Amino acid sequence: MPNDALNHDVALLLRALSALLAYPDAELRAGLPDIEAAIRDARRLDARLREELLALTGEIAASDPLDAEGRYVDLFDRGRRTSLNLFEHVHGDGRQRGPAMLDLRQRYLDAGLEPVAGELPDHLPLMLEYLSCRDAVEMRETIGEIAHILRVLGNALLKHGSRYAAVIATVLALGGEKGLDARAPVPPEQDIDADWEERPAFAPPDLQPAVAPEQPTN
Amino acid sequence: MGQFLERLRYFTRPREAFADGWGELRTEARQWEDGYRNRWSHDKVVRSTHGVNCTGGCSWRIHVKQGVVTWEMQQTDYPRTRPGMPNHEPRGCSRGASYSWYLYSANRLKHPMVRGRLLKRWREARKTLQPVAAWAALMADPEARDYKEKRGLGGFVRARWDEVLEIVAAANVHTIRRHGPDRIAGFSPIPAMSMVSFASGSRYLSLIGGSLLSFYDWYCDLPPSSPQTWGEQTDVPESADWYNSAYIIAWGSNVPQTRTPDAHFFVESRYNGTKTVAVTPDYSEVAKLSDLWLHPKQGTDAAVAMAMGHVILREFFVDRQVPYFQDYCRKYTDLPLLVTLRRDGARWIPDRYLRAGDFDGALGSPGHADWKTVALDRDGTPVVPAGSIGFRWPDKDSPDHGRWNLEEKAADGRATELQLTQIDRRDEVVDVAFPYFGGESHPHFTPNAQGSDGTLLRRVPVRKLATRGGERVVATVFDLMCAHYGVDRGLGGECARSYDDNVAYTPAWQASITGTPAAQVIEVARGFASTAEKTRGRAMVIIGAGMNHWYHQDMNYRSIINFLMLCGTVGVSGGGWAHYVGQEKLRPQTGWTALAFALDWARPPRHMCGTSFFYAHSDQWRYETLQTAAQLSPLADASRYPRTLIDCNVRAERMGWMPSAPQLNRNPLDVARDAAAAGVDAKDYVARALKSGEISMACEDPDNPVNFPRNLFIWRSNLFGSSGKGHEYFLKHFLGTRNGLQGRDLGEDGGLKPEEVVWRDPSPEGKLDLVVTLDFRMSTSCLYSDVVLPTASWYEKNDLNTTDMHPFIHPLSAAVDPVFESKSDWEIFKAIAKKFSELSTGVLGVEKDVVLVPMQHDTRAEIAQPYDVRDWKKGECELIPGVTAPAIVTVERDYPATHARYTSLGPLMDKLGNGGKGIGWNADHEVKGLAALNYIVPDGPAKGRPRIETDIDAAETIMYLAPETNGEVAVKAWAALSKITGRDHTHLARAREDEKIRYRDIQAQPRKIISSPTWSGIESEHVSYNAGWTNVNELIPWRTISGRQQFYQDHAWMRDFGEGFAVYRPPVDMHATRPLLGKRDNGHPEVVLNFITPHQKWGIHSTYTDNLIMLTLSRGGPIVWISEVDAKKAGIEDNDWIEAFNLNGALTARAVVSQRVKEGMCLMYHAQEKIVNVPGSQVTGQRGGIHNSVTRAVVKPTHMIGGYAQLSYGLNYYGTTGANRDSFVIVRKLAKVDWMDRAQRAAREQELHTTIVGARA
Repeated sequence: MPNDALNHDVALLLRALSALLAYPDAELRAGLPDIEAAIRDARRLDARLREELLALTGEIAASDPLDAEGRYVDLFDRGRRTSLNLFEHVHGDGRQRGPAMLDLRQRYLDAGLEPVAGELPDHLPLMLEYLSCRDAVEMRETIGEIAHILRVLGNALLKHGSRYAAVIATVLALGGEKGLDARAPVPPEQDIDADWEERPAFAPPDLQPAVAPEQPTN
Repeated sequence: MGQFLERLRYFTRPREAFADGWGELRTEARQWEDGYRNRWSHDKVVRSTHGVNCTGGCSWRIHVKQGVVTWEMQQTDYPRTRPGMPNHEPRGCSRGASYSWYLYSANRLKHPMVRGRLLKRWREARKTLQPVAAWAALMADPEARDYKEKRGLGGFVRARWDEVLEIVAAANVHTIRRHGPDRIAGFSPIPAMSMVSFASGSRYLSLIGGSLLSFYDWYCDLPPSSPQTWGEQTDVPESADWYNSAYIIAWGSNVPQTRTPDAHFFVESRYNGTKTVAVTPDYSEVAKLSDLWLHPKQGTDAAVAMAMGHVILREFFVDRQVPYFQDYCRKYTDLPLLVTLRRDGARWIPDRYLRAGDFDGALGSPGHADWKTVALDRDGTPVVPAGSIGFRWPDKDSPDHGRWNLEEKAADGRATELQLTQIDRRDEVVDVAFPYFGGESHPHFTPNAQGSDGTLLRRVPVRKLATRGGERVVATVFDLMCAHYGVDRGLGGECARSYDDNVAYTPAWQASITGTPAAQVIEVARGFASTAEKTRGRAMVIIGAGMNHWYHQDMNYRSIINFLMLCGTVGVSGGGWAHYVGQEKLRPQTGWTALAFALDWARPPRHMCGTSFFYAHSDQWRYETLQTAAQLSPLADASRYPRTLIDCNVRAERMGWMPSAPQLNRNPLDVARDAAAAGVDAKDYVARALKSGEISMACEDPDNPVNFPRNLFIWRSNLFGSSGKGHEYFLKHFLGTRNGLQGRDLGEDGGLKPEEVVWRDPSPEGKLDLVVTLDFRMSTSCLYSDVVLPTASWYEKNDLNTTDMHPFIHPLSAAVDPVFESKSDWEIFKAIAKKFSELSTGVLGVEKDVVLVPMQHDTRAEIAQPYDVRDWKKGECELIPGVTAPAIVTVERDYPATHARYTSLGPLMDKLGNGGKGIGWNADHEVKGLAALNYIVPDGPAKGRPRIETDIDAAETIMYLAPETNGEVAVKAWAALSKITGRDHTHLARAREDEKIRYRDIQAQPRKIISSPTWSGIESEHVSYNAGWTNVNELIPWRTISGRQQFYQDHAWMRDFGEGFAVYRPPVDMHATRPLLGKRDNGHPEVVLNFITPHQKWGIHSTYTDNLIMLTLSRGGPIVWISEVDAKKAGIEDNDWIEAFNLNGALTARAVVSQRVKEGMCLMYHAQEKIVNVPGSQVTGQRGGIHNSVTRAVVKPTHMIGGYAQLSYGLNYYGTTGANRDSFVIVRKLAKVDWMDRAQRAAREQELHTTIVGARA
């Protein structure tokens, strides 16, 4: 084991976070006590985050099972803005996505972990589970690499008023990264006109070149 | 120090700077290139294509690395064409090229989904009940059906495959048991693009007795003019044949945009000296490619084409006779055939064709003499030319066997030379009345009043012949047509002395209607015909949606087809009619029909006309503003016709013309049981009960819950979205959910109600109990479904693809396994069949099912009703199943064996053989071959039968049974046809007799198919594929009443609706804007525009319009193009958000203001999705609709005709069409852009929150 091995409680917390982002089916609901225990046992977890995570587990537990599932589908199975596939946020449907996915997959394989069929390599719960098997340095570095995506995702969840935002906030905290900000500029709906407005072909230098705006969902 | 040692002897310094130090020369290992090499490296390359209703059939290399599809590239290894011809490469377009990342995109459906409310009730019921009983309990509880009102409003949850399969199968079993198998319907379009996937659902439905709905007519891509003229659904030249043309008119078909991979042949033909003309109202892409651009007002094209016909008749038939044209028309068209005239006061009216049966002794040809047309020979005596449909279906010992051909011979074998005209041999010249519609008023189209009371009187030379019924006045089709076109032949009366006369149908006459200068029309007509004269017919019209999507589509088409036939272009390489919209060609058709319709296990399957089904069941008929009387010719007896269009449809179903679904107002399984209990044959039982009124046809009462369709499968389609003409009506009545309908129905409005249909108040909402959609993306249809099943996409399954644009058969191949939880369509329906078999055990057994079948084209039943129209229900005739009413057939279904049957080739293939289009052959050898190839089923109900377990097994089955892919079958099929025609055609396939094209062959390289009598063209090393080639060169008759190409349509309804001859009819007024104009003021000015929905650059074909890569190239969401003039009127600037609405509903979109668009119309590209960038509509108060929100389907009575030779039913062959271009919308700027996200989210949160609180309490 490397010196910097993850503390057991952190590894368990990562597993819990990964599980919380999975589909809240009967199996997951049955595992909620374990998840809650891992959250409580995580020693250095900020109290506020702990509260928020427990509020999420509480919500899943208290909801009618199908409502919890429906909420999950609304959030994560539809559209892009809150997609759990990280490359969706950076590559979209672009050509770079294929090589990026392959590199990521290779990284898992190099670590002796083989993804089982079902989800793509950039699926966040899958990645969190991977990190739970790695050392603290890699965890921090990886979270650092993806922090900008996590923030976009997390802020979008905050805007939705979703308790799932707590999971993202916790991941950022584990990486020592800046947290979420509900006021962060997720492109608001009313700005869509400006987003799509055609820029002059030879814009004066003080204007930023056109940036592909983030896609609004549905 | 000396220089010697300063100098390096064995080395050079590689890093020498040059260009003032800006450059540096290095020689080192080039590892950096590995980055690029790895970028393009791959583990395997697989051949596949994209199947979004696309006719491309383009070969693509799919690159796979570590089990991930990394990219696709155009494949460039098609078999070559001939010397002197350009090859097919490269095929493919930007839409296809952007596909691969769809595979993993956020739009991808990953798991089976079920509407949450439904699943909750289901799980609750399943705690105590078996699956079928659980579904029955849900359906019996009115409260339990509240999931219907949530359709389209989210609320899906994931479910396990076994659970969803159980729901679907239980619903099917219950529905069959409780309501009847015909209450289960299925919709999937365009089998050619992925024929195994289509066949999977249709095979399942056919085995259980469900109703398969047609799509080609519903999409309005079916040109009814083709069955009318040729008895052929659609048969067209491959795109390479454009190169062989010397004159091409692209008319309402935007080839570079909609046939992208083929367009290079259009361009290359110009290098070959071909003249190209575009006819489109807007300055379209094809207009930019052409030498000349004609832009008649949209919807008035028939007037242009009629004027061209006028010029061609005048200059090439009357002033001068072109030997090639004369010869062609005599041999291959109905121009020499005789039409009887009916006296009406002082005038005469063209009636039906004269028949052999009109003469004593039937002119020596008594078999089916009522179905043999008559002409006059060189000596002026009547003869019965062989080849009419009376010769196609000879009785057993008739001398007519082997006489169905186009040799210039009479029935008795005597050589003939039929006469086109009797002008020099006339007995008299009479005044003949022709209906005229060009004077009809329409708020947005310019009329040109002619004649009086909507008729034109024209002078026609006639002959008087002694017939059984006394002396008859007759005229040739040619003489009538010259008169109809207003061509002056020196006979006096009203006709055009010059092209400048404002007389129908001159170039001057059309100018006032279409705005096209007369000189342009004359130039094009002359150029086209003189080119055809010089090249013996190598002149072509490419035609498409811009012409076919109008209510009077067949007038647009027939007016053009007329001059194509006059110029002898049809059946000639480089010539003819090239209809390209939705016309995909399923080349191995007869191999496929066996699999797709389960003809190997039970016949006949239940087929239904999609348009009539949706018109009735989404209750669009309840809002109909078009009345029958307004459509009739002024020469017709209106009292013989019912008031409304749905009445006409009901009569057509009753008389056996059109199919029905559901069929009877009772469960057909119960009917069979009752008949058996009464000891009566089901056929007699049903006939008697229908007559007594004890049982009635379901179509007479579509709003009665007894007659609702209950379960619907949608696969490979976006039925409710891009294909849902009258979208809001679907939402309200079919699905029972929130909708943006603005109009009131005939009940609320005091309109004219139907007489054949029961009117029910209140109108039904939510007829369907279960909507199951298979897709790989969350389409608009998925949003409105109850169960959504994730399917494999085009790189994840094995399938077959053919098109009419090139002669190759092409595979879809599984480059990777289906991603996430998706499965191929074949596997999904197989799994449903398995669960269905399991659940049906004990509930359904071996059952007898009573099936009603209309009189089908290409079967003997097509010669059922030779003369007048008679309705048994009105006491006008006896009810004789299969003659005056639908045939009634009992089919045995072994429900628990459904899965065993689905996965094996059934015994009817050996017993009854295979075939199609009126030709049959023995299939023993193929069944044995398939048993050896696919192995046999070891045990169970299908023991010993060839297996069809996998999609590849299914593909092999299709290809082994089809003449196009199995040379031995091709020779057999040609031999079978040779028996009927009396001419040997087997030489067309003999050279390839030993060839069997197999699935792995086409994965290696697309293969050219083998010539087959299923099609009217041939595949050869000498000519490109073109329709009608075998008719012209092999003298095989067209499958029409006369056996010839028909200028005239003599069925009573065709005549009464004024379309015996092609005419110009202005678009119909749908009355959908006036009641709203100015009534929903939002402060912005309104303009009323014609709503045109052509095919686009960024969506169809080959991808969907939620593909952000493509959308990013445009405006990122729905757009409507308007002209600068209209934009100014309405104060709209480019890119403004606008709203378009009428009584049917509303849509929101961006405006694209462009010079390209003609004033008075707007363009909204077809198939834009409701799910991408659609803000709220102020008119409906809901998120704006889609392009179909402002449309309503409207049916045309002439498309309902049946039991009459080429005018007989066939799935996707003939039937009502979903025309929508006659729609007008009110367009205005949107005052406020409201995405309605917050409101929607709040409502949903409210719903979820309530349950949390409830749970805690």
